[in-house]
Amino acid sequence: MAKELHKEILELKENVVRMGHLSLDMLDKSMKALKAKDPNLANEIIQKKDLIRQLDSEIEAKALRLIALYQPMAIDLRRLATILKVITYLARLGRYGKDIASAVDELSDKPYPAPFVNLEHMWEHIKKMISNALKSFTEADLKYIQDIGSRDDEVDEMRWSIFRECITYMIEDPKTITSCAFFAMIARFLERCGDNACKIAEKVHYMVTGEHIEIT
Amino acid sequence: MDVKAILNERKESNEGDKSQKVKSSDSIILECRDLNLWYEDTQALKNINLELLKNHVTAIIGPSGCGKSTLIRSFNRMNDVILGCRTEGGVLFHEKNIYDKKTNVIEVRKKIGMIFQKPNPFPMSIFDNITYGPEVQGEEDPQKLEEIVEFSLKRAFLWDEVKDRLNDSALTLSGGQQQRLCIARALAIEPEVLLMDEPTASLDPIATAKIEELVFELKKYMTVICVTHNMQQAARISDFTCFMYLGELIEYGETTQIFERPRKELTENYITGRFG
Repeated sequence: MAKELHKEILELKENVVRMGHLSLDMLDKSMKALKAKDPNLANEIIQKKDLIRQLDSEIEAKALRLIALYQPMAIDLRRLATILKVITYLARLGRYGKDIASAVDELSDKPYPAPFVNLEHMWEHIKKMISNALKSFTEADLKYIQDIGSRDDEVDEMRWSIFRECITYMIEDPKTITSCAFFAMIARFLERCGDNACKIAEKVHYMVTGEHIEIT
Repeated sequence: MDVKAILNERKESNEGDKSQKVKSSDSIILECRDLNLWYEDTQALKNINLELLKNHVTAIIGPSGCGKSTLIRSFNRMNDVILGCRTEGGVLFHEKNIYDKKTNVIEVRKKIGMIFQKPNPFPMSIFDNITYGPEVQGEEDPQKLEEIVEFSLKRAFLWDEVKDRLNDSALTLSGGQQQRLCIARALAIEPEVLLMDEPTASLDPIATAKIEELVFELKKYMTVICVTHNMQQAARISDFTCFMYLGELIEYGETTQIFERPRKELTENYITGRFG
């Protein structure tokens, strides 16, 4: 029976990774849609939110079923506990992707300030954090997330930098107020995505070592 | 293995959480020192060093043949009755080696009672089962004996079910009731330690749940050491867990640590079913 449990945990893990890539993809494409003001791409992302919700429910149900059936312990228990938490963080990431995509429609006829502020750079930074957290989960290896806390500090700084930048643009040219207000909000969304990457890293740390840590 | 080290580690990890801190009343009641045991030429216990805390439940887990029943039987010298069994090293009960030649084994077994896998009530009434021990010890006062019966049955969570049929044969009770009667019988002579060798192995889930609740209650008054094949049961009822393999004590620690993040790979492999 233990073999069956391990096989099922492996399948569950693959589904979590699939969900992770889906969330990451939603965020990545939403940033592309935002930059290009592409409503079709934005719409495609918004449609995916149901898939994220479905994966979240399916994985949760299966993990709970495995706990009830097998009463796992040690690494098996830690894996399932980690999966149950990680899917919540991944669902949030996907939802931020959907929220950013929803802004595209609002901004379609609004002028952007000359440069696409630093959102793109901020996103590249966060994308790497999320990818590393997912890789760390997949390989059960902490090396990918060792410095994730300091990388998140940089994200926080970027968010405030974008906020100040947006205010400057708004003062300079009131026509950019709408887009800049959205950009400041999106910077906040991305900053929260960085926090969720850290939350995933915390749980992976627990999965690997059995110790709870807080990445601040 | 040094229980103080385990407790100190717990103390450090829970700094600031007063409810989790080690109580000053924590003290060692039983200790194995370099305990080795052979059945003829086969060594069943290999250099066991272990400290057990008073008023706590300790579970002993491990695959069949690992020596866990042998270990628990060595705590009240039940192995003495097995032909060809030889013991080296010692088991200290209140710091006195029970394997000393001067030790009165009957006295040891009065203080360290035992419950077996299959309930083994005497073929006599429920009342007489309980009074058997105290009577052998010289208690003759009928009122006192009645008090002992009520007290022991209440403590074993059996009183309400049998108070109106104390003169019925113990063999008319269900398996779960018989096991609780055996526990009540052991409690009647007020042991300090109760050894349980797979006490629920032959019981249904409801009877098992009652025994588990009982164990939880009993640790307020005594020390319980329980051998079990059921790891979920060990996780539910015990404060500390020992994992044994091929006669060796592989890992000993707080139950939550053993089942959530075992330190030894062998323990991890056993409790996650990755053996073999």
